[in-house]
Amino acid sequence: MELFNNQSFLVALFIGLASGSIGAFIILRRMALVGDALSHVALPGIALALSYQIDPFWGVLVFLLAAAFLIWWLEGRSRLSTEAIVGLLFTASLAVGVLTIPDHEIIESLFGEFPLLPATTLFMVLGSASLMAVLSFVLARKLLFVTVSPEVAKVSGVGRKYDLVLFLIFSVVVALGIKLVGTLLMGALTIIPASIAKNVSRSMSGYIINASIIGAFVAVVGVVLSRSIHIIPGPTIILFGAGLFLVSLIFARR
Amino acid sequence: MENCVLEVKNLSVILDSEVILKDISFAVKKGEALAIIGPNGAGKTVLFRALAGLLPHKGEIHWADKMKIGYAPQKFLVDKSIPITVKEFFSLKSKNFWLLPKDFAEHLSHELELVGLDKGILNKPIAEISGGQMQRVLIAWAMLDHPDILLFDEPTAGIDVGFEETIYHLLRKLQKERGTTVLLISHELNIVYKYADSVLCLNKKMICHGSPAEVLNPQELAGLYGEGGFYKHLN
Repeated sequence: MELFNNQSFLVALFIGLASGSIGAFIILRRMALVGDALSHVALPGIALALSYQIDPFWGVLVFLLAAAFLIWWLEGRSRLSTEAIVGLLFTASLAVGVLTIPDHEIIESLFGEFPLLPATTLFMVLGSASLMAVLSFVLARKLLFVTVSPEVAKVSGVGRKYDLVLFLIFSVVVALGIKLVGTLLMGALTIIPASIAKNVSRSMSGYIINASIIGAFVAVVGVVLSRSIHIIPGPTIILFGAGLFLVSLIFARR
Repeated sequence: MENCVLEVKNLSVILDSEVILKDISFAVKKGEALAIIGPNGAGKTVLFRALAGLLPHKGEIHWADKMKIGYAPQKFLVDKSIPITVKEFFSLKSKNFWLLPKDFAEHLSHELELVGLDKGILNKPIAEISGGQMQRVLIAWAMLDHPDILLFDEPTAGIDVGFEETIYHLLRKLQKERGTTVLLISHELNIVYKYADSVLCLNKKMICHGSPAEVLNPQELAGLYGEGGFYKHLN
């Protein structure tokens, strides 16, 4: 069927779009590395799901949402550096994942591949990705407000719960993208489009829209390239994105 | 107390087991302009943050019902690398970020006029405007949704001298026309003298509280800032 032949492009288009739009806010919050580490939590989730023979996506989603909540809680609680805690906890979970996932599943989990999805799953993935992109746009004002000035936002009635909303949307996007580029690289797919957009944008609306478009563009072109040179899509997408980032540096404001 | 919009009783703030503020008590009437003065590190900004509900504290802070509080901190946009235009910065206060409602846009240009800014500034990225322009933007931003109370942390820091007076005239006008209560932290004692209804001197504890004429005399100021302090600036 035509739809299934083009499945990988559709998945790349929608997940790229969602990654770009939520990544825009992750970059503004200077949480790029935390986001990257967060994606590693997916591995033990995959391991657990595999051992119970359910779709790894659900294991990933549960683990990521729990991790997002944990980061949010830690941020509000302690003066310990969140980055240090997150880095330690999540790389430890990467180690747990590597030890518990069967060998033949490891590469796929780390770097992604394109399984043929049944139609219902495909529509669920596309639908959820669009929903996350739409949410990022609709909530843009509040997500921005807590980033620009958490204190003034709180006085104006936009509280820390929007930080949690940001992390949760991000977690869902990472969970969705794991089939596309794998756990190790999904963090990068959210960071790269927004970083490129930041280099070439002068306004916030331009920045968010550019990040979304670049996300979709990088993912789709990555898939096309990986098809034509017969390598796995994850690293191809990320390397293409990284190349584009280098080019965008020419336009960066100083 | 009647007509009081804010009552503070025995307020203490302790951070990291260091006493930052101790036993502060005062009340603010509706439409009053209260200036808070004191040396660096006296706890002025901490007082504001406690009033805005951003810090844990002991004692009572009692706001009148349904008060809309506008808070303009001293340091607002720390990160100049955020790509955001002046207009988008204002849209943070609008209901719709993507399409500004028409009445919001009209109201915005009116507020900009009040602080002496041209409409042309709206499309500039915040990173490209000067410090003085930024300060004016912040003042307009704080006033935009007509708060009942404005907490202003050094509204004229970084603003050219001639414009300081304009800002205080403006605050005065707001008080009269909109009945806005203004609490402001300031270092400009001569301006405080002219524009504030009352003055609170702070140095971890409350040193004095009264009208400018009562409080801004050499003895009190020497007590506040130490000998050879600020009183030389007064006329």
